[in-house]
Order: sequence, then structure tokens, then C-alpha cells
Amino acid sequence: MGKEFNWDYTSYPGYKKHPHLFKPIQLGKLTIPNRIKYAATEDNLNDKDGFVTDADVAYIRQRAKGVVGGICTMQGVYMDEKRQGQGYVGQAAAWDDKYIPGLKRLADVIHEEGAVACCQLMHCGRVGAIETEYCQGPSVVPQRLRIFRPVQEMSKEDIKQCTKEHVEATRRLIEAGFDIVEISAIVGYLISNFLSSYTNRRTDEYGGDVRGRARIMVEIIKEVKKVCGDVPLGIRLCAEELLDDVRGNTPEESMITYELAEEAGVDYISVTAGWQESILPVISRDIPQGSWLYLAKRAKEHVRVPVSMAYRLFKPELPNKAIGDGDLDIWEMCRPMIADPLMPKKVLEGREEDVRPCVACNLCLARLFRDAPMTCYINPVCAHEWDPKYQIQPAEMKKNVMIAGAGPAGLECAYVAAQRGHEVHVYDKKEELGGAIIEASRAPYGDDELYGVIEFHKAQCEKAGVKFHLGTEVTADLIEEEMPDTVVLATGPNYIKGEAPSFDRANVVSVLDVLDGTAEVGDKVLIWGNRKPGIGVGLFLAKQGKKVTIVGSERGLGKDINPSFRWRYSAYLRENKITVYNDCEIEEITDDGVTTVTYDGFRFPIKADTVVCTERRANESLQDAIREEGIELFVVGDALVPRNLSSAVHDGYRIGIRI
Amino acid sequence: MPVDAEREITRLHGALRGAQGVIKTTFYEWRQTALELAGPNTEPLDIILKFWEIAGKDVAKSFLPALNMLKGEDAFVMNLARALAGTGIANGAVVKLEKGESPDEIFIKWERCPWPTFAKRYGASMQEDLLGCDKFLQTILDEVNLFFNTDLKLETQKAIPRGNGVCLRRLYKEDKK
Repeated sequence: MGKEFNWDYTSYPGYKKHPHLFKPIQLGKLTIPNRIKYAATEDNLNDKDGFVTDADVAYIRQRAKGVVGGICTMQGVYMDEKRQGQGYVGQAAAWDDKYIPGLKRLADVIHEEGAVACCQLMHCGRVGAIETEYCQGPSVVPQRLRIFRPVQEMSKEDIKQCTKEHVEATRRLIEAGFDIVEISAIVGYLISNFLSSYTNRRTDEYGGDVRGRARIMVEIIKEVKKVCGDVPLGIRLCAEELLDDVRGNTPEESMITYELAEEAGVDYISVTAGWQESILPVISRDIPQGSWLYLAKRAKEHVRVPVSMAYRLFKPELPNKAIGDGDLDIWEMCRPMIADPLMPKKVLEGREEDVRPCVACNLCLARLFRDAPMTCYINPVCAHEWDPKYQIQPAEMKKNVMIAGAGPAGLECAYVAAQRGHEVHVYDKKEELGGAIIEASRAPYGDDELYGVIEFHKAQCEKAGVKFHLGTEVTADLIEEEMPDTVVLATGPNYIKGEAPSFDRANVVSVLDVLDGTAEVGDKVLIWGNRKPGIGVGLFLAKQGKKVTIVGSERGLGKDINPSFRWRYSAYLRENKITVYNDCEIEEITDDGVTTVTYDGFRFPIKADTVVCTERRANESLQDAIREEGIELFVVGDALVPRNLSSAVHDGYRIGIRI
Repeated sequence: MPVDAEREITRLHGALRGAQGVIKTTFYEWRQTALELAGPNTEPLDIILKFWEIAGKDVAKSFLPALNMLKGEDAFVMNLARALAGTGIANGAVVKLEKGESPDEIFIKWERCPWPTFAKRYGASMQEDLLGCDKFLQTILDEVNLFFNTDLKLETQKAIPRGNGVCLRRLYKEDKK
């Protein structure tokens, strides 16, 4: 093939710190300069007919830049004209030669950034067919989730056609210039449906034992391999389905599928865990980083081809050690590079403090499942890479900017404005940076990772020359004294008590005081507010052995949490025996409890010795004083409308690029 | 103002019974609507069975996340029996479970059920009422069997619409028959 990807990393600090990440590796006949791979990630950025868009090209270019010579994989393409393989509205297609020019644009931008271009073939099987009436599968087994289409059993003719479509699509990808082709066989997509004893009930040669169930995979690999030539072929394969509750494959059966894939001719295997239908969490923040590395190690014991893996490997130390120990060959990433496309580049350059950390919230997934374009909770530019209006540009007029509040909204705004050339001063009445994230990150189940955003902000602000005035509360007098050109109010919300007069009692305390340990809390606690602050403090207290009840006025629990993460909190509330009453108000607080009223007027008592208030309202203080001075005013984050960390960061960024 | 428990429970109870009644009257009003639109040659039983098939499939979807095999087959069968009983209890029936001779054999007994009363009120036959209920439960079971790759059976041994005083259904694994 003759393609060469020459990179010399030896002079970079990241090479010395994480040497195993920046060593070359051989995939088939292709030498990859390092051990870094941006994994295939749907982004819903392409058009409804599967043609590649400018937005997707710009999105991929950034990730290609980020892998510094490693592998950059574009999203999986669907391969059938009937679109039964299509699982996402903005998924790229490769079922006709008319798609080659668009695919070529992606391969070209990856090459322009010096990276290795990889494309994935993805028939979404029982979670596909979003534009058609029925999806395809080996057998008619209903899905656990309502959002999917009814399954139609594939005939042998359908299977032959599917294999042919994989081959045809591969030819197009290679013509478009991709250096690696990868088959997707994970999380509930078609090939995984055939592999699994859960979804494959066939009695013909494509069913039965694991070798029969793997027949379609083996046939596809062999046929695709014929057209690949020297282009390496990989496969993403599930090492543990986590479907024991529905009699899915055993880990031993999964390892047999690995061995069969290797025998059939793949040049590497990407290790994954779990299905979309698994009832166990896999990649959310509550799963400790590195938890799944044992699967890569197990895979290495069963196959000789290189093994790659993503799945909660956010810190470079983990894959560097695993590669050094011989448990892994390639470090893959999806979400860390959604949050920061240049993450590995920054690691190489010794700028880890500049990495915007993924908080494993799964908002990106929640968006895709709801037919919305990719968004990142923490990266405001994600999916807007193509749009000049979203980028940080030098300010036309330098301003003196006062930011009130050193939480995530204020800090995001501060460093962006400072990078644009403004003189930025951040004030906070607290002595430390972080705002409410200081307290929020004390909640259990991985919420400590939220504070990483503040560490990122601190580094960016310091580099951009932001001046901090901690322990200084912004007042009307201070504003009059300083007379800045612009004031950004990022003061956070007002934490409010309920309307009942008895909220003034001594046993009513604030969520912030509870989380920072200054409030006295009894053994039976009632949390007022059923959004994230209420859930977080509820779990925090339940972990201390307290009996917790949550009462909130929202119709549903955790409306401010994205649905792809909310189910985790629901599970932990059950596990910690926390009772939740939604759509209720508190009518009265007494020494031993509260009287609660449902939205339609039914009253009932709840025993509690302490009431924790977590409800918030917008903070309108100082606004009149600022307007009276004729000073430009912006309000961001919870001070504007109490929401969540994501809204704070996005608000801060959008105002930062506007000032 | 202290909570008057008796008053609150009375109000809640009234609202619950009202809602349970509305479900049944609405069902029979829709039945009448479907029959009038379908024309005189339509067999009411066909419409009723189709309705309960659709309802069964939909209810089964809510069963799937709640059931799992990790706790063992016996617990699985018991949890399924509880869920099936729950569909009656939600409608105002009194339903009890009794274990059979083997761990995966459960008897589900409807000691009281409001549906036959409503069938009479709206002029539907007892046969239609019974077959509709059977179709609903069987459809749920079929979907559960399909999803979990199980082979559970449900047989109706007694039925209030037949004048047996109770509805008694046996949930079991075929090989234990």
C-alpha cells in the first residue's frame, strides 16, 4: 500500500511521561505511529439521506488533529438502501457509490492532520431501522426498551445480502481512501444479535451453539477481507454482554467469538462491554475508571492480534500502564475526545492541565437516542467546530470585565474573555474557586469527578491572565468603585425555603451547609427538592446511615439530569432505600416531621428531624445597580436560571465569546 | 393543621375507586364505538380479542425491565405471577398467589373481580369477558417467554364468568405438568 505515517514523539514531554502510548504498533501491514485511537462515535451530524456534511467533516478534523498520528475513526456507516441497518438519523451511509465523495472528504481531512483514517461498517440490527417499520435480527425477540422497532427474522437470503452489503461498502471506503476498515459487532447491533444466545434462537446453521451463532460474523470477515487487500480489518466485539438476566452469552462464549474472529482474519479487536439493553452500568461516572481493563487482559490471553479498548479509560496513566504491562495494545476514546478533541495531543505536549475533562454523564448518548445532533455536557464547541461564530476570536475592543462568582459559569466566561484579550477580574466571596461544584462534588457515586472541570478552569484562567479576588463579594459599592466596562453575574442561585412559614424553624438547613459539614443533621432527614442537588445530598446522607425521604414539586425525579444518567440515580435511590414523593409541596414543618400535600390536595405526614432545602431560584441581586451605572451586563449559569453544570459552562462560554 | 388520616384515606380511596371505574366504562364505550364503526357484520369477540392482544403486548413491555433471571428461575416465576396479579389488583380485583407443588408452579386466584359486573352492565357476554382476560394474560406471557427464552404456560382452571366463584389460573413450566 505504501502509506507511511511518520511521527517522532521523542522530544515531547508526554513521550517521557507516558512512553507506552507513543510507541508504534503494527496492524496487519500498516504501522501506526502511536497507540491512540479515536473510536467510532455516532454524532448525528450528517444529513437525513446519509451524505456527509461540513459539520461532520469539521468535527472529525478536530479529532484527527487530536490523535497526533494515531487512528481516527469516523462513525459507523449503514450499508443497505432499505435503511434497516440505520440506527441514527444523522448516520452516514455507504450503500451506493454516490456516497464516496463525502466519505473521501472525511478520509482526506484525517490524512491532512497526519492521522490514520479508519471507517466502521455498522448494521444496527435490533436497535436500527429508525426510518422504517421493522428492524432486522436473527430471531424475533422483542427489545426491552420501547423506543425500538419490532424485529423481523432475517432469512438466509437476507444474511447473504447483508454480507454482500458489507463487502460493497468496504470497497467504497477503500476507494474513498480509508486506511483501516472496522466491523461493528457490539452493544446490540446486528452481528452482536447473531452472536448472543439472548437474541439468536435460530435452529439453522446461523444459530445453535456459539460457533453457529458466529457464522455470519465469520462469513462477513472472510468476504470483507478479500476486498481489503493490505488494508487492515478490525472488529469491535463484546467481551462481556452483561446480559445474564436474559441468558446472554457467558464470558467464555464471548472469548470463543474473539478466537473465531481472529481465525477468520481480523487484524485487531476492539474490546467492549455491555449492551444498550444491559441492566448494569458500563460507562457512567459511577463506574470507577479502569474497571473494565480486566476484559482487555482476558482478550490478550485468547488472541494474538492487537487489542484496543475504550470504556472508562479517561486518564492516560491507566492505558499507559496497561500497555506497558502487556494487558492492552491501543488506547481508544470516544467521550474524552468528545469533551476535548485535542486530549491526546495535550497529553503528548505535557499540557494535561489543559484537558477539558469528560464527566461521564452520557448526555452525548442521550442526544443521539433522541435524534438530536451530538452535544457535549462540558464542551460548548462540540458539534459547532464548523461554525466561526462559536470559536474564540480576538475582541474588537478590549474591555475591563468584572465577573462576580468563581463557579463554573464565571470561570468558563473568564478564561474565554481573557483569551480574547479582555482584562478579566473574577470575584468570589469564598476563598476558593468552584462555586457550588465544591459542595456538589462531595456527593457519592463518582461526583468527585465533577471537580475536574474546576481544575481545568483554574489552569485556563491562570494561563489567560485572569486576576482573582477571592474572599471579596461583589457589591454595588465595589462596582461603582471599579467601574468596569462589563459585569458578568455568575453568582449562582438563591437557595430558597418553601412558602410555608415553618420553614424558618431551626431544624431547616441548607444543602450547601450539609455538604460542607457545617449543618447539624439528624437521623431522619427530609430533602426538599427533587432535582440533582436534592438527589446528591440525599445519597450523601443515606451513605452516612440516615433515613432519607425526598419531597419535590417537580412532576418527575431529576428533571435536570439527562435520561442516560438519571436511571443510575434512580437505582441508587432504591439501593439506599430513599423514598421519593414527586409533585408534592410541604405544607408544614414540625419538630418531628412535615405535612406533605400532593398536587391534587391529598395530605400525609412524613417523620423527619431535619429538613434540607435544595430548591433554587434565579439570583437577581445587583442587576438594577449595574444597569443604573450604564454598565454592560450579562447574567450566566444558575444566577440566570438554576440548571446544572452543563448549562453553567455553556452559558459562560457563549457570553465569553460575545463580550 | 394536623393530618386527619381517616379523611385523607377516605378521599384517596374514593379517587382510586373512581379511576378504576372509569377505566372499565371507557373500555366498554370504546368497545361500542368500535362495533358501530365496524358495522353489523363484525363479531364483537374479534374486536375484544384484538384489543386485549394490543393491551397485553403493551403491558408486557413494562414487565420486561422488571423481570430478570439473575435471581433464579423460581424467583422469576414468582415475580411474573406477582406482576400478572398486579394487573388485576390495579383494576380493583382481589388476587392471591399460592405456590404449587413445585417451585415453578404458582396458582393465581382472583377472589373478586369487577370486570364481569361491568360486562353485564354493558351487555357483553361472560364468554367474551373470560376470553378477553385470557387473551390479555396469555399475550403478556407469550411476550415474556419470547424475550426471556422461557416456556412458561398459563391455564385457566376456574373462572368467575363461568360461575366458579373465583378465577384460578395456573402458571407453570411445561415439563412439570
